[in-house]
Amino acid sequence: MQPDYGETEILLVEDNPTDLELALRVFRKHELANRIEVARDGAEALDFLFGEGAHAGRGGLQIPKVILLDLKLPKIGGLEVLRRIKGDPRTRTIPIVVLTSSQEEKDLVESYELGVNSYIVKPVDFDQFSDCLKQIGIYWLLSNAPPKLNAP
Amino acid sequence: MPSVIRAPKRISQLQKATRPETKPKGLLKEVIDLKAALAIRANLTDRRRADGAVAQLAAIVESSDDAIIGKDLQGTVTSWNAGAEKMFGYKASEMMGLSITRLIPPERQQEEGEILNKIRHRKSVRHFETVRLRKDGKTLDVSVAVSAIKDRSGKIVGASKVVRDITERKRSEEARRTSEARYRALFDYAPDGIVIADSESYYLDANASACRMLGYTRSELIGLHATDIVIQSEVAHIETALGVIKARSAYHREWQFRRKDGSVFPADVMATMMPDGNLLAMVRDITESRRTERALAASELRYRRLFETAKDGILILDATTGMVVDVNPFLITTLGFSHEQFLSKAVWELGFFKDIWANAEKFAELKDKEYVRYENLPLETSDGQRIEVEFVSNVYLVNGSKVIQCNIRDVTARRKAQEALRQLNANLEQRVIERTTQLEAANKDLEAFSYSVSHDLRAPLRAISGFSKIVLEDHSAEMDADGLRYLNQVEKSAQQMGQLIDDLLTFSRTGRQAFNVQPVITADIVNAALDDLKAMQENRRVNISVGDLADCEADASLLRQVWLNLLSNALKYTRKCDPAVITIGSRREGETDVFFIQDNGAGFDMKYADKLFGVFQRLHLADDYEGTGVGLALVQRIVQRHGGKVWAEAKLNLGATFHFTLTGGQDAA
Repeated sequence: MQPDYGETEILLVEDNPTDLELALRVFRKHELANRIEVARDGAEALDFLFGEGAHAGRGGLQIPKVILLDLKLPKIGGLEVLRRIKGDPRTRTIPIVVLTSSQEEKDLVESYELGVNSYIVKPVDFDQFSDCLKQIGIYWLLSNAPPKLNAP
Repeated sequence: MPSVIRAPKRISQLQKATRPETKPKGLLKEVIDLKAALAIRANLTDRRRADGAVAQLAAIVESSDDAIIGKDLQGTVTSWNAGAEKMFGYKASEMMGLSITRLIPPERQQEEGEILNKIRHRKSVRHFETVRLRKDGKTLDVSVAVSAIKDRSGKIVGASKVVRDITERKRSEEARRTSEARYRALFDYAPDGIVIADSESYYLDANASACRMLGYTRSELIGLHATDIVIQSEVAHIETALGVIKARSAYHREWQFRRKDGSVFPADVMATMMPDGNLLAMVRDITESRRTERALAASELRYRRLFETAKDGILILDATTGMVVDVNPFLITTLGFSHEQFLSKAVWELGFFKDIWANAEKFAELKDKEYVRYENLPLETSDGQRIEVEFVSNVYLVNGSKVIQCNIRDVTARRKAQEALRQLNANLEQRVIERTTQLEAANKDLEAFSYSVSHDLRAPLRAISGFSKIVLEDHSAEMDADGLRYLNQVEKSAQQMGQLIDDLLTFSRTGRQAFNVQPVITADIVNAALDDLKAMQENRRVNISVGDLADCEADASLLRQVWLNLLSNALKYTRKCDPAVITIGSRREGETDVFFIQDNGAGFDMKYADKLFGVFQRLHLADDYEGTGVGLALVQRIVQRHGGKVWAEAKLNLGATFHFTLTGGQDAA
């Protein structure tokens, strides 16, 4: 099956329900939320992308325009998810933005070493937070030219 | 050596001469004839007797060892006896009628004329010593006597010459002179003093050494008595000494002498009586050898003390027999055997050293080894205790015989201590490993804690902040003014807590993050920090003057944090000043650069200065000046990590000056 961007433009990987709700509100408010897929942990995110687990019946890959990835996730952590996506030739061109509360330099360095496209620390202040998400959405969905998809 | 002057042979022996028939010839015959004629004239009846006397005289002449030669007044030989033949090597037949001058060496030829002249003038020539030539050309030392021969009328017709060979005597005299010179030299130059005294002990002579020793000149010494040159207590011994010497015994005794200047010295005296009855004494100054003996005795005493009191065992063995020569008290105590038990045995019989010298053969094999050393030699003491010793043996010569010295040190305690130390070190290492592991675990925990703070505390804050905002956005119409104010307060508090968390995380990270010191241009850092703080300078009058800033060595990002915090403080606490005046610079104090930031702001009361750098410590109300109380704590932590220190001077409402250094913190603290 020919891979395409399908229904999903943004894969939002976020386990915290309040952060998730706030994020979705921002996207909704700015009309960026139509084609958002939400994964609540790392495993779910990978299953969605690779069409495995709960998504096994779907068949084929799902390639979103951007993945917003939290680092502190149940089951499979954010850095591991990052490693798998960037380590797989089929998915490694997908832009990934780490969106995290962690200011740890260790996380920052490791993320970039694994090939992250952007690293953003979630502001505590909601106004800043919503500004930030809005910019991400506009930039990656509208401004940025996505990579050409390769046949698997 | 034949004596020079031969004992005259007795007549009776001459009568038995081997050549009784030999007839006198020449001059001798004339003499005999003359004497015979005189005898006849005197007493004819005695003729027979006279004939006998002539024959006797002739025999005496012939048998004489002296050369007896007759010559006429021209020097022509007229008679030549057997002695002359023997002495000169010419036969009578070779010399008769020839000139006597052939016997005279060329340089003495004039002697003959002088002799004959004297004879002519009726002068006799007494013995004179001269040199004559033999037939074989050799020279002879001779003594010559010449007397006139007269004819019957009394006219001098010739001379008789008696020549005696004195070569031997001359040689003997020469030998005696040489010998005397030798003994004189010996006397003069002997290093020992030599004195000659008469039988009453008055000095007759003294050599140079004796004079030097006693401090007298030779002439001063001659005539002095023995009592003058010995100390008072020795005087009584002089009589005894003289008695011994005169009894021809060898005399040898040490005397205490007194020099002319009164000083005293010991000397060995050997004395003897000489054939002439005088006394000869040899005096040897033994001051130096006495001193050496004393030094040796002192040294011996010292080493003996060392041996006796040593805290190591010392054993001395005869290398040839293996017998114990000496053992010191320490070894006796250590091994628990008596001195007698040691001394009566060969070393292998003692049994202690069976690992080295099991038996005589083994001992013989090893005894010549110059040096033997064992670090840990097990020994068994008399009470069966096992000890470990360090054993060292050396071989050396004492009066030509080999001796083995063994030094034995009980190292049992040392070995135990070493073992204990080793054990302790092993334990310590183990404990260090354990503590390191614990620390590593604690560090991991801390990291995990920070991580979780960073993540999990922010999310709810964001929720509080976020939903407050949403309520304000979506539902403000449904709330009264108080409700809105309360919600605003909730939102503000959440933000403040977010700031607190951020500051706290920064503070905790400062201690852990990598530390990279390099040369830093301070002015660049300060300018960058001021740039970052532009927002704080907007809409107010701020005079910032940047003076000289020394460059430094620091971690650039941490140093930037220091300047940022101090400058933002200065801007913050001058908020109410118009204009705000901030002075930045550095000054040199000894070896250290001191950086400072001075402001004219709110300042503080110096009695709270000690709280200034504590975490969460604030000296101002949050209503007046916002803040978390972490900034200065962070400054202090960074400065201290560089090895420097930070301090402040201030007056309430009159501004504050913050100083910091990056070195010399320990000294200054």
